[in-house]
Amino acid sequence: MQKYISIFRISLQQEFIYRLNFIMWRVRNIIQILIFFFLWDSVFRDHHQIIFGYSKEKILTYAFLLLFVRAFVMSSRSNDAAGQIANGDLSNLLLKPLNFFKYWLTRDLASKFLNLIFSSFEIAILFFLLRPDIFIQFNLLNWLYFVLATLIAIFIFFNILMLTNFVPFWAPETAWGAQFLIIVIITEFLSGAFFPLDVFPEVVFDILKFTPFPYLIYVPIKIYLGADISFIIQSFAISVFWSIALWKITNLVYQKGLKVYEGVGR
Amino acid sequence: MDKAIVVDKLVKNFVVTEKEAGFVGALSSIFHPVKKTVEALKNITFTIQKGELVGFIGPNGAGKTTTMKVLSGLIHPDSGFVSVMGHDPWKKSGKYLKNISLIMGQKNQLWWDLPVIDSLEFNKAVYQIKDSDYEKNLSSLVEILKIGNLLKTPVRKLSLGQRMKVELVAALIHNPQVLFLDEPTVGLDLVAQQALRDFIFEYNRKNESTVLLTSHNMADLADLSRRVIVINEGNIVYDGLLEKLTKKYAPNKIIKVLFEKEVSLEDLQKIGNIDKYNYPEAVISVPRSTISYVASELLQNFDVIDIDIEEPPIEDVIRQVFETKDF
Repeated sequence: MQKYISIFRISLQQEFIYRLNFIMWRVRNIIQILIFFFLWDSVFRDHHQIIFGYSKEKILTYAFLLLFVRAFVMSSRSNDAAGQIANGDLSNLLLKPLNFFKYWLTRDLASKFLNLIFSSFEIAILFFLLRPDIFIQFNLLNWLYFVLATLIAIFIFFNILMLTNFVPFWAPETAWGAQFLIIVIITEFLSGAFFPLDVFPEVVFDILKFTPFPYLIYVPIKIYLGADISFIIQSFAISVFWSIALWKITNLVYQKGLKVYEGVGR
Repeated sequence: MDKAIVVDKLVKNFVVTEKEAGFVGALSSIFHPVKKTVEALKNITFTIQKGELVGFIGPNGAGKTTTMKVLSGLIHPDSGFVSVMGHDPWKKSGKYLKNISLIMGQKNQLWWDLPVIDSLEFNKAVYQIKDSDYEKNLSSLVEILKIGNLLKTPVRKLSLGQRMKVELVAALIHNPQVLFLDEPTVGLDLVAQQALRDFIFEYNRKNESTVLLTSHNMADLADLSRRVIVINEGNIVYDGLLEKLTKKYAPNKIIKVLFEKEVSLEDLQKIGNIDKYNYPEAVISVPRSTISYVASELLQNFDVIDIDIEEPPIEDVIRQVFETKDF
């Protein structure tokens, strides 16, 4: 345990070194939220309108929660693992008595911790500036389910990211390509980071809900906003299934990858 | 004595995708990749006793680094048996990794942006080193390598030589029993090379640790190891004492003479094979069997200030080894 506390601490230090990178990443988040916010703000001219099942206050709450959930679920450091595998720096990690996954999960948690603090400030400032009508959930159970769903989301995202990290084991040149395609395009799009997934036709969502993606962003926020119990139960069942399945797959692929790893560059 | 390292019939092949030069070549390799199998280690067998310091020699691509990587558990062997202190390196058990260290001259494990001491503290936590041991190891390493003033400097600001020293401290702070050193003196100046050699020698002696060392730098080997393993194209071609290798592949010894007065080249050539003559010094290579005869001839017939009989430089011997095909 001491080991991983030490990793957590040194990761925080490391994040502070890359202040500029960090600030850029936060700015990107805020801009995305502002776009989201103003788009929907203008769509809802009329306060009492309901579009795609959302009232104005719920959709604006979605925007704010998006800032928060995104910071917690998607901010990570472990995307560096792809580069490490490609250029052989993974060797340094393999030589140490450390567990690869625990190491990266710890570094991710450090990154999330920092992002969470910053996003809280950002939310406060934006809230003060925009003064939107916000939906506040008073049912404690929904809060509990929301936290639980977010934790599951972190784990699912970690595994998806890890799988993209492992591509360079077989194709060392493609480190960034695979990650950009899978994480930025597919994952963010299908997880509800650009718009609530209710916007899709029902058929599309019925298919999507069997993939791991909606459980990263859309479902946790939906649960906060007050989903019915059958939706919550179904969501937990599918997301827990994906957590376990992805975890098994990630481990398997990692073991296979290590066998072809050559530790190049030395 | 205990065997620290056992390697038996080790085989490792790599599959490489060959690419033609240029854009068209790059395109065609996407659709029709040409795969080629490289036999990095063909059938390697050797053992190393606990506390031994063994030099590992061979030209580029001979398989030295591949062997090191297999021994430290980084790559998976295709076949054969490998055991280091009774562990299978591939399993990467914590107990095993806590007792070894692999040091590569070209890469570093340090946290690039953070002060040196952070990397060391990090290793302390990772290797679960006790406070007292850590303090003791750190102070002795810092003293020997004279890096006390560098501890608070960010790693990126260090020179190559300084970084290599810090690298050594980081790699040895957990007091490993087995040390794999791959080209540790690459890029270092002569003074730093010597300091590093002295250090490795001391470390091996004091801790009775087992050291396997590869180097292109022959001075490293001449200074450090009595036993060498010569590897070429994935095969072991020699395993034994360095002196014997020298005797086997260097039939001649070298006589260096310093003359009082200038002598003619013709006169000298009667004595032996002149490698270099640049008054006042001459370098003559002479078969081992006639060395004493030639030396006395020189002293009798010329005005000699000084005479030195030496083994040929180890570089030349090794070159000789690799040029000779019949081992």
